[in-house]
Parts: sequence; structure tokens; C-alpha cells
Amino acid sequence: MKAEFYKLYRNKTFWVVAGTVTGLSALLHLLIIFDWWQLSGTEFDQAGLSELNALSPFKLPLFFNLIVSTVAGYYIATDFSQSGVIKNQLLSGNRRSYIYLAKLLVFSLASILAAIVIPLVTALITVTITGYGEIFSPSSVMYLERAYCLFTLQFLCFTSIVLLIAVVTEDSGKTILFTLLLSIVMFAIEKLTSEPIIRFLYEHTFFYQFSDAFKISMSTGEVVTSIAIGAVELIVITSCGIFLFNRKEMN
Amino acid sequence: MSEHIIRTHNLSKKYKDDFAIEHINITIRKGEIYGFIGQNGAGKSTLLRLVTGLTFPTEGTIERFGSDNPKEITLAQKRMGAIIEHPALFANMSAYENLEVHRLQKGIPGKECIGKTLELVGLANAGKKKTKHFSLGMKQRLGLGIALLSEPEFLILDEPTNGLDPMGIVELRGLLKKLNREKGLTVLISSHILSELHQLATSFGIIHKGKLLEELTGKELDEKCRRHIRIKVDQPSKGAAVLEETLATTDFEVMQDGTIHLYHHVDDVRKVSMALMNSGLVIEHLSQNGDSLESYFSKLVGGAAGE
Repeated sequence: MKAEFYKLYRNKTFWVVAGTVTGLSALLHLLIIFDWWQLSGTEFDQAGLSELNALSPFKLPLFFNLIVSTVAGYYIATDFSQSGVIKNQLLSGNRRSYIYLAKLLVFSLASILAAIVIPLVTALITVTITGYGEIFSPSSVMYLERAYCLFTLQFLCFTSIVLLIAVVTEDSGKTILFTLLLSIVMFAIEKLTSEPIIRFLYEHTFFYQFSDAFKISMSTGEVVTSIAIGAVELIVITSCGIFLFNRKEMN
Repeated sequence: MSEHIIRTHNLSKKYKDDFAIEHINITIRKGEIYGFIGQNGAGKSTLLRLVTGLTFPTEGTIERFGSDNPKEITLAQKRMGAIIEHPALFANMSAYENLEVHRLQKGIPGKECIGKTLELVGLANAGKKKTKHFSLGMKQRLGLGIALLSEPEFLILDEPTNGLDPMGIVELRGLLKKLNREKGLTVLISSHILSELHQLATSFGIIHKGKLLEELTGKELDEKCRRHIRIKVDQPSKGAAVLEETLATTDFEVMQDGTIHLYHHVDDVRKVSMALMNSGLVIEHLSQNGDSLESYFSKLVGGAAGE
């Protein structure tokens, strides 16, 4: 785990992504606050948090996928491809499952930081600095807490599946490509499929839960369902990843 | 504790329909420097990957430090250091940082070992330079440093002299001999450069097209490579006496099967045969034998190829 944090700390791509997201997020929020970009009809509008509308793109899989897959491509997949340092890691005398879980944890934390924490914190700071701090009422804060907790749980499923793709493809380009492809396929299913069985299945995936997490009101049952879907899928995907990693041959 | 560091039993690895290695049985004893000789593509790296646990056997078992339980491989890995194929380095990190990552992975307490290792492999002055700017020789040294960082009991090196200059090769040989002598380090080293291994290894395994052709000690290899006249006569003891008395030499050996290996007068076969015949001995066989290591290897491989 310490080694993974050390690697992340020295990973240029991660800092470039984090810096870019910070700049982009600040810019988008300023555009929204000063009405240079008019965005309406979002869940944030309904929650009385219109000044946070610029957070909307950051909760779209097609958008945050670019952040996550880039970090995965240049932080995880390169271990397998150009340098082959994964061999050193496997020879370190740690169980493969621990190595995989350490990668998952650090990669997930890095992705959460870049794709969730930075946009959110930038939003809070920008809104407060520009004098709109009063929008944060107890109820809106509660909404943000619930939405982001659920979103983060579903997000962990996403990082888990991206790590699995990175481990299988062993290549940064392919990792980015296949992750993007996955997001496009799920987006297409959401928009184009009316087949009841496929819709039912889709609605029980974490992809669907990404948008559900930001619904203005959710019943306790819906919250429990969302948590259950996220938790079960996280366990299943991580278990598949560990299974594959344990049997992976390093040639 | 087992005297065997590694022992393989009918070890095979198949990729699709082809065997990369087939029914390999090797034994590496504690304190040995085991030279694994074979041409490119003979299966050396495949065997090393299996021994380190990077890949899994199709058939057979591997005993590591006396245990063939695959679940105990992490315990064995803690006692090993290895470079497989090429040194695996983070290009955007310095030598120091690469060693630090490995130190953290191995859970080695204290950072003092990094400085010592850089000193040991001759990279003390390159500690802050990023490895992407390293020459191949420097990368090999750093790879060796990573393998040695945890002071392993067993070191596995796959073609470690690739990219090293002549001085680097001499230094590496000296370092491995020193670690073997002073710390009892057991080494498995593969190479296709025979002369290089001959100067270093104490045991040898010769592999060709995935099959182990021969496993022998350094002494046995020297014997086989030492030029001699192989003599078979009807009375070996009398033959030995004739060599001593008539040819005035004691530089010969009487083997268990009764043949005599004469290491003197090797280029004077006629003189030897005359001395034996004049003593009334019946010569059943007389031939010149023994070659350079390269010739011996070529014969062995040639013989295997012809089978």
C-alpha cells in the first residue's frame, strides 16, 4: 500500500489530471456563477443549488470516464506494459490478492480525488468566494451528502471495473479505449433500449445508479437499493479482478 | 532446513500447442552458483519465470526452499531476488526512488539499505538521475540492486550481462562471487554466453529446445572439456603401469568402466599406442577427446538436434 501511494505521489499524469480538473472545474463554476454559461433543469437547480450546476458534467460517466481511464492508463497499465515493474511487485513476497487490493484502493482514492473531491471542493470554494455561500442550507447540505455518498459508492464500482480492464489489457491506450467503449455502450443502452428485460438489468447496474444518486428525493427503499447494488457489484467486480490477477501469467 | 533451494520435478510449460520447456528436472543446492546455459529461445526465461512464480506450470512441480506447496510461494519470494529478462524500472523515477518503491513493497525497514545498495552496484553517483536517461549497463546494475536490496538468500539473474561493458562484466562476476563466498548467496544465472558462465558457475544445466540435455558440476564439465586420450585396453592396470613407466606420466585417470583418460601426450597418439602395443596390450579403443566449452556445447546441442 505504501509503495502504491509512493508511486502515485510521483506519477506525473495524476498531477497533470488533478491540475487540469482543478482549472477546468474552477472555470466552469465561474462561467455558471457569472451567467456566462447558462445551464438549467439540473438536479442542483431543483435542490436550490443552481450555482453548483457546473458539477453536472462531472457526474456523467462519459465525462468522468476520461479522468478515471487516463489515471488508470498511466498509473496502472504502465506497470504491465513498458516497464514490466509488475514483475518486481509480484516477486515482492506479497500475496497477489493484497497487491491487487492495494492497487484498487490507491487507484480509487486517486480517481475519487480527481473526479469527485476536486470538482466539489472547487465548487464550494468558488461559490463561497463569490458570495453565494448562503445557498448551503442544512437541507441542501444533506442533499449533497446523500448524493455524493451514493455516487462515490457507485464510482468505486466504476474504478474497480476500470482496474480490471487495465489488468486484462496491460496497455494504457487500450485501457482508455475500452473504458470509453464501456461508457458509450451503457449510455446507448440507457438512451436507446426499450426492451423490458434489458432495461430492468440496466437499472440494476451502478451506471444507472450514477444518475439516480442525484435525484432530489429518494425514499429509504431507493437509498437501500442503491447501496445494495453498489456494494454487491463492487464485491463481485473486485472478486473477478482478484480471480483474474491470481491466475495471470506474467510473460 | 533443506539443502535444496530449488528442485523441479518433470516441470513442463506449454503455450498453446508447443512446449516451451518439457519435463525438466533440475536441482539447485544451497551455496551453488548454477549456470543455466542455452541458446536464445531454448526455454531459459520460461524456467526462471516458473521458478519465481510469475507463471504457472502446465505439468510438474517446483520445490522452493523445501516446499512444493504453491500457497507458500510468497514465503519463498521473500527469500529471493530476481531480474527476469530485463530490469523492470520506473522510467520517470531516479535509481534511489526505484529502490525506495521496492523497499516499500518488500517491507524492508529503514532507508539505509538504499544507499548501501547503490554503492554496492556502483550507482552511488547516479542516485538522482532518472532511469530513462540510464544506459543499458546502468539499468542492469540498478536491476541487480533491486534484486539484492532485501539481501536475498537466492538470486535469480536472467542474462544479467546484456548491455554491460567488459569491465562491468568483470565487476558483476566479482560481486556475485563475493556474495556467494561471504554471504552464502545461492545464484541461478542464465546466459547464452558460455565463457561467461564457465568462469562463474559451480554447477551447470544445459537446455536445448525446452529439454534439459545435461546437468553437471563445474568439475565434471572441466573434465569433459579437458583434452585427453581415451584408452581402452584388455588389462587396464597394466596399461596404467605402462603409461607411468614407459611414458613417464601420472597425469591420467582410470575410470570405473576401465577406460583410461590420459591428459598428457594428447597430441602424440602414435607414441602412446606404440608404448601400449609394445607392452603386449590389446588396444580396444584409442581416441582423442575433450574440447572447449563451446565445442562441447555445440556437440551436445548438435547431438540433441540430430535425435
